[in-house]
Amino acid sequence: MSKNEPRIGVYVCHCGLNIGAVVDVAAVATYAQTLPGVVVSRESTYTCSDNGQRSIQEDIETHNLNRVVVASCSPRMHGDTFMKTCETAGLNPYLFEMVNIREQCSWVHTDKEQATEKAKDLVRMAVAKVQLLEPLEKQKSAVNKAALVVGGGVAGIFSALYLANAGIKTYVVEKKPSIGGHMAQLDKTFPTLDCSLCILSPRMADVGKHENIELITYADIQDVSGYAGNFHVTVKSNPRYVIKENCRLCGVCAEKCPVSLPDEFNVGLKKRKAVYIPFPQAVPNYYLIDADHCLHLTKGGCMLCQKNCPNDAIDFDQTESVRELNVGAIIVATGFELYDATQKKEYGYGRYPNVITNMDFERWVSADGPTHGKVVRPSDGNPPQKIGFIQCVGSRDEQEGAGYCSRICCMATVKQATMLREKYPEAEIYVYYTDMRTPGKGFEEFYQRGREQGIVFIRGKPGEIEEDNNQNLIIVSEDTDSGLILRNTLDLVVLACGLRPPEALEELTQMLHLSRSPDGFIMEAHPKLRPAETSIPGVFLTGCVQFPKDIPDTVAQSGGAAAMAAALLTKDEIELEPVRATVDEELCIGCGLCEDNCDYGAIEVKRTEEGMKAQVIEVACQGCGVCAASCPQKAVTIRHFTDGQLLAQVTAALEPEVIL
Amino acid sequence: MKKKEIINMDELDPQFKYEIASQPGGEHILKCVQCATCSSGCPVASVSDKFNPRRIIRMAVLGLKDVVLKEDFVWYCAACYTCSERCPQDVRIPDLMAAIRNIAVKEGSIHPAYREQGRLIGELGRLYEVTEFENERREKLGLPKVKEKNREIAEIYGCTGVGKVVL
Ligand SMILES: Cc1cc2nc3c(=O)[nH]c(=O)nc-3n(C[C@H](O)[C@H](O)[C@H](O)COP(=O)(O)OP(=O)(O)OC[C@H]3O[C@@H](n4cnc5c(N)ncnc54)[C@H](O)[C@@H]3O)c2cc1C
Ligand code: SF4
Ligand code: SF4
Ligand code: SF4
Ligand code: SF4
Repeated sequence: MSKNEPRIGVYVCHCGLNIGAVVDVAAVATYAQTLPGVVVSRESTYTCSDNGQRSIQEDIETHNLNRVVVASCSPRMHGDTFMKTCETAGLNPYLFEMVNIREQCSWVHTDKEQATEKAKDLVRMAVAKVQLLEPLEKQKSAVNKAALVVGGGVAGIFSALYLANAGIKTYVVEKKPSIGGHMAQLDKTFPTLDCSLCILSPRMADVGKHENIELITYADIQDVSGYAGNFHVTVKSNPRYVIKENCRLCGVCAEKCPVSLPDEFNVGLKKRKAVYIPFPQAVPNYYLIDADHCLHLTKGGCMLCQKNCPNDAIDFDQTESVRELNVGAIIVATGFELYDATQKKEYGYGRYPNVITNMDFERWVSADGPTHGKVVRPSDGNPPQKIGFIQCVGSRDEQEGAGYCSRICCMATVKQATMLREKYPEAEIYVYYTDMRTPGKGFEEFYQRGREQGIVFIRGKPGEIEEDNNQNLIIVSEDTDSGLILRNTLDLVVLACGLRPPEALEELTQMLHLSRSPDGFIMEAHPKLRPAETSIPGVFLTGCVQFPKDIPDTVAQSGGAAAMAAALLTKDEIELEPVRATVDEELCIGCGLCEDNCDYGAIEVKRTEEGMKAQVIEVACQGCGVCAASCPQKAVTIRHFTDGQLLAQVTAALEPEVIL
Repeated sequence: MKKKEIINMDELDPQFKYEIASQPGGEHILKCVQCATCSSGCPVASVSDKFNPRRIIRMAVLGLKDVVLKEDFVWYCAACYTCSERCPQDVRIPDLMAAIRNIAVKEGSIHPAYREQGRLIGELGRLYEVTEFENERREKLGLPKVKEKNREIAEIYGCTGVGKVVL
């Protein structure tokens, strides 16, 4: 405990009516005045306002306060604000304690009297704790001025270019052989119908040749350690078995390769060889060998590609390589996965050839697709004359585990229906929907244009699709607008599948200690005010990995993420939170329980002259307290949350009369 | 309620939806987004335009209590559970229909066919009377004759109050 007698100032906030409407703020302030050590106690309408903060600072000066308690909103909201208030007035910011009487009191209670009593209890607890707080000093740590972008879709591409153009060295790690993500697979984009690759491929090329960008494709993140300003990332690059400098893209290897496989880029609608290039505009632009299917690499022999390559570009001796990247900031941009339509058994995807997904449609309609852009019935290759779209497949569907709206599929359907209308002016086109969602610049106009072109929007979600002997598809559905039950025989049905978080996301979120929202996407630091940050300092996010969104929103968020990362990376050093673990070596028996439990690898048992002792790696410790809780010897203490401080708080809660 | 061109919403019962939601089976009524998946596949709706599960939910949410309870349609649900399997919001329509029927019964509206069944069960303990014809056939099959009426059901009707409702 600090030497001087505690002189505490207590500030109870109305937060407009947020607190004031339920808690009797004046009564709480008056009560606080009676608590031991409290020199001044005030209420204020908005403590976080300039006025409110100034009043605290003036009191620190005139009343010589050495402790401050603010009872208001959550520390996540304004903890930093008030710590700075104290600091500016010359008080160590760790001699401040915050009480949440909004989220934990006024917002969750309706009984005014009891809520006021609870607010008093909470304030009394904080006053008991604040007396025991110790001043702490922030440490400084140098910032490594490089960035890592994980994922090379449009989100990753734009974040990397923004950072690199600001002069920041940027690594891009993409797990597939080429960057581009889903946008590279789209034919045209709503609502302007510009060709997707025409606008994306120049940016992909920029990433490939930018002097500040190092592109690492066909690679996996294996481990992440460190903290904001100083991350160490282990990346494993998979061998491509092709020498980049030698490959001239002649394609002789692929011609000779005897192995034929479904082409992922064309969602299996075309074939590729075991030696292949993912798509013509791929970046980096050279061939690779699919080691899982290459005859030579799986069974030995073959090597037809190597024998026939005129440029000696095939190198079967390549092996995987592992390297460590040292960066100050990380942007996560790993995008989405399409809902697996085979799960929705009643629509028959995978069983009925003429039921396709919206992503299949993009490849059918693309000039590089299986039919060079002609949309046909997969069963017989005939042009379809009656086409149906079904909306919200795998979205807004609690039975499929996704209650959310995927946001892009309404517009993607309007786009696809419009493109069909252009290709087949005679065709009948029906869109079965629950609600059409078109909130975006030019979106409603685009939807209206579709209607004016004769696309018929039917409000009602079909329960199932049946197939007749000619592999036509029969949909019986209610049209809720007319109240009629309609039976429709169609040539082709497109399922507007929703967006899901990528399946492999779990591994990455664990390595980075990121939280996920109930929908499975990565949780942002604040849903309104910090949409491009995560709860981990130095780790940012953008694109569909945060939540489904279209390309313009993705690019905008990438700008935000890059700006946040740049703000960190342009500093020379950053301050580290001093709320960390410390070990009392006299008590420590070296059992290692703390080391086993620490998620951050921040505490290690080491041999010392006194025997095996736990030691905290200060810069890695996040102050979570797991070690302190697991130590059987009570040898670990978390600064600012010591047993003494917490017990004083608990005692004050249980025994109001015996406080000090 | 009389059929009118315009329905005055002041005459509707805004509490009806909560009343249903408080009944076992009715809990999920307010989750319905009116997507029409249920009505699209309902075998009853496909043969009778009087019955439409989506529309019943809509009318209930709007508070058309009189219509929903007095008209026949809530009794039409065949409880095949097709809609329940498919409803994206997990509204559990057949259970919901049962909840509405329970309210209807409490308020004294009960479909004549169900009332008749209730009466028969109460009186005979079975859905139909066992006559000499059935007993002859039972004998041929080596089964004992059924003579007595089942009194137990009548007793159950008495102590649970079901009798007051159906008889
Ligand atoms: C059928 C359909 C049509 C669409 N049409 C339009 C349209 O017309 N207009 C429009 O604006 N939007 C459209 N969209 C939405 C658009 O596709 C997305 O907005 C955009 O692709 C989001 O980009 P992203 O970079 O966030 O994700 P993605 O495109 O999914 O890119 C993510 C990248 O990260 C990589 N990755 C994943 N995990 C890892 C990992 N662990 N390590 C390294 N790399 C990883 C992936 O391989 C991929 O390259 C459409 C979407 C669909 C499904
Ligand atoms: S965007 Fe449209 S189709 Fe997609 S989930 Fe939302 S409402 Fe359904
Ligand atoms: S408080 Fe302990 S368990 Fe938590 S990060 Fe620090 S050392 Fe690890
Ligand atoms: S299927 Fe479910 S959500 Fe859709 S209208 Fe029927 S009850 Fe409502
Ligand atoms: S359970 Fe009832 S409402 Fe649902 S489909 Fe069957 S008959 Fe129709």
